Amino acid sequence: MTDQPQGLFDAIDSLLQAVDDNTLLPAPAERIRLRKAAGLTEAAVAQALGVRVQSIQAWEAGRAEPKGQRLEAYRRLLDGLAHRYPAPDTPSAPTASTHPEATATPAPEAGPPGTADAANAATAPQSQQPPSDLTPPENAAPRPADSITVAPDLAAQTAWGPDGRALQGEPGPCIRCGAETAYRSTDGHPLHAGAMCQPLTPATTPPSAGTPAPAPKAAGTPTAPPSPAPVASPTPAPVPSRPQRRAKSAARAQAETSSLIHQAVHEELERADGDTEAALKALTKRAIPDVMAMFDETRATARYTYTAYPALPDILKKPSKREPDQIWEARPNFHHPGYSLKIPGSVQVTALDANAAYLSALKCWLPIGKLEHTPGTDGVGPKRSGVHLITPAPWHHPHLPDPLGDRDEPGALWVTDATLRLLLRLAGPKHGLADRPTVHESWTSGATENFLDALRKTLAAARETAIEQEDTITLEYVKAMYSKFVSTMGESIHNRDMVRPDWMHLIHSQAYANLWGKAYKAHQAGLDIIAMTGTDELHVTGDWRQVFPEGRGLAQMKIKHSDAKASGEYTVGTVAR
Amino acid sequence: MAGRWMDLGHYGAEGIPGRLALAHGIDRMVTGIESPVTTERGLAARLRYLTASGTGYEAMDRAGIRITPRTLIAWLAEERTPNPANLARLDTAYWDLRRHNVATDLKRRLNNHSRGTRIEIDPVDQSHVEGRHQRALETRTLNVRGVWDTAIDAWLTGDEQTLDATWDEIITGLGSDYDAYTNVASVGWAA
Repeated sequence: MTDQPQGLFDAIDSLLQAVDDNTLLPAPAERIRLRKAAGLTEAAVAQALGVRVQSIQAWEAGRAEPKGQRLEAYRRLLDGLAHRYPAPDTPSAPTASTHPEATATPAPEAGPPGTADAANAATAPQSQQPPSDLTPPENAAPRPADSITVAPDLAAQTAWGPDGRALQGEPGPCIRCGAETAYRSTDGHPLHAGAMCQPLTPATTPPSAGTPAPAPKAAGTPTAPPSPAPVASPTPAPVPSRPQRRAKSAARAQAETSSLIHQAVHEELERADGDTEAALKALTKRAIPDVMAMFDETRATARYTYTAYPALPDILKKPSKREPDQIWEARPNFHHPGYSLKIPGSVQVTALDANAAYLSALKCWLPIGKLEHTPGTDGVGPKRSGVHLITPAPWHHPHLPDPLGDRDEPGALWVTDATLRLLLRLAGPKHGLADRPTVHESWTSGATENFLDALRKTLAAARETAIEQEDTITLEYVKAMYSKFVSTMGESIHNRDMVRPDWMHLIHSQAYANLWGKAYKAHQAGLDIIAMTGTDELHVTGDWRQVFPEGRGLAQMKIKHSDAKASGEYTVGTVAR
Repeated sequence: MAGRWMDLGHYGAEGIPGRLALAHGIDRMVTGIESPVTTERGLAARLRYLTASGTGYEAMDRAGIRITPRTLIAWLAEERTPNPANLARLDTAYWDLRRHNVATDLKRRLNNHSRGTRIEIDPVDQSHVEGRHQRALETRTLNVRGVWDTAIDAWLTGDEQTLDATWDEIITGLGSDYDAYTNVASVGWAA
């Protein structure tokens, strides 16, 4: 890090230069290149900046320029991207001056010197990036002795061409993992694109050299491992109080399952020639068969055989493809009657977003076999799950969302077991918020909570790793896998491997029940619930950070930005009584 | 029909004959126009499908649609709408033709390059059967091949006898208790 002051001065110089030129942002073409290099879509950028997609397109085409706060935010984004994906054809002046040996191997494509704008974007990052030939000292000690002649360079970065594709050259052993690859790093050595190497050993992960530290862990987790373990493992760290699996085969099977994700991403990246957008498209396309294969893999030594094509009761049959069946999933659509967006006021509200709500909801009680009919309350039990016909007790808390969602008509309705469990919990002595619902009849089967748990753990671990490594492709792939798994496990022509609409309803309503739990937690901490809608949206007043840890983890919440008026941080007025 | 379970439901078991479950399974594979025939869009799509080829006119004949060419042209031009009886016949004719047209594709998918298709057989629902009369039945999976052409042809012509014989042939692959799967709760597969 000796070049840090030099790099800083250069950055300041380039900034001043840019101010003189009156263009603080890189050229439009460079903006597109940076976004594509990071594998970001226009929509993702638009959402992050809180603008419409058309605006992003206009900025990238040079038709318009951002102003004010948007300008600041957009520049910050582009700067950050330029750090990670420097322009490949720019001579790196500061690096050359401080480390002449670093330029001994010239960049494979020594094109014409970049324009002033491109240089502006590229000089700052290259100065901050450690020279790739020098290995950070903390990595030198624990490296296992292996046959690779080139020292695995963990700080090297993939070289991206101006068209957003990874640059290729003559195949050679990857400087990180040793396997042969045609892709290049920024300094011209062979390196797998997008850090897609097969891992050497699980321990030698980069100690987050240039990347910012991941979001802080949940404060409530009892065992925060002090040792650096950035790669999330599907097998949890040993907890003394918890019995450990005796067989090693289970852990090995889990590791194999999670490597399926890695393999698929690798395969599609290779096939698409490093074109991240094409690879992502292909991955999204194969998400359903892949996730079904992975589900089968997790069922390999399982105790129960589930029924994939059970005989369905009429309440679960859709009258036609467009019409829904009779199950009420209790999707929330709550707005606090005491506040209004239309009235000017100064009540500060934050729109929060529960991360990967359906992924978390894979942990719910699912019926194993086909549903059987029982009259009365016979079908209600801790080890049974399915759907129930209930008459709910009235809800008397206008400041808290109704756990049954927004219902227009009174009377009996079919709800899932996840909703019924929530209602029964709220009727219990701990909450005492409502009376017990009356259960008239049920379609249930013996249930287990662990059906999708192995799948959930694998996907959650892959998601966590992808977030830490800022690997957008894997992240989107995992997202497509779990969301499509849930949405097509019912009657869908896109997934014929399973016809379990009951499972789909259960997982949906479990997600809503989880969100209700979060709302209640905020309410108990003294925050007002302004709105609770959809699967994952929760709008609260006050200091929410005291209640929920902030971040992208499954137990964390993040601020929700969208095109809607009520997003991010906004203010509402109090309704006069 | 094979088996000693001639009197299904005597002790409270619920199920359907295997041949019906098989036919339902094949039915599920057929996709087509989703809009109902009563809607303008659904009617126009059906008429278009039925008038696109000679087999379409044959299908209309089979469904008992007796109209003059003038009427058909008026329907196609949306000057007149068919009466409810003819709407129902048009729907029948459409699905009849559709089934004929997709049959080849269904055979191809189910035969799967003669590798066959793995099916899941769910036994009859015994939840209302007294314990001492219950049989130990479990969900079975079985790879089925070589019978799909016969099954599809029988399904197409509504030949229940052949379909029943096909089902018997399928369940003999289950082993000694094949008999208990003459009647089933449901049958499913991914193809």
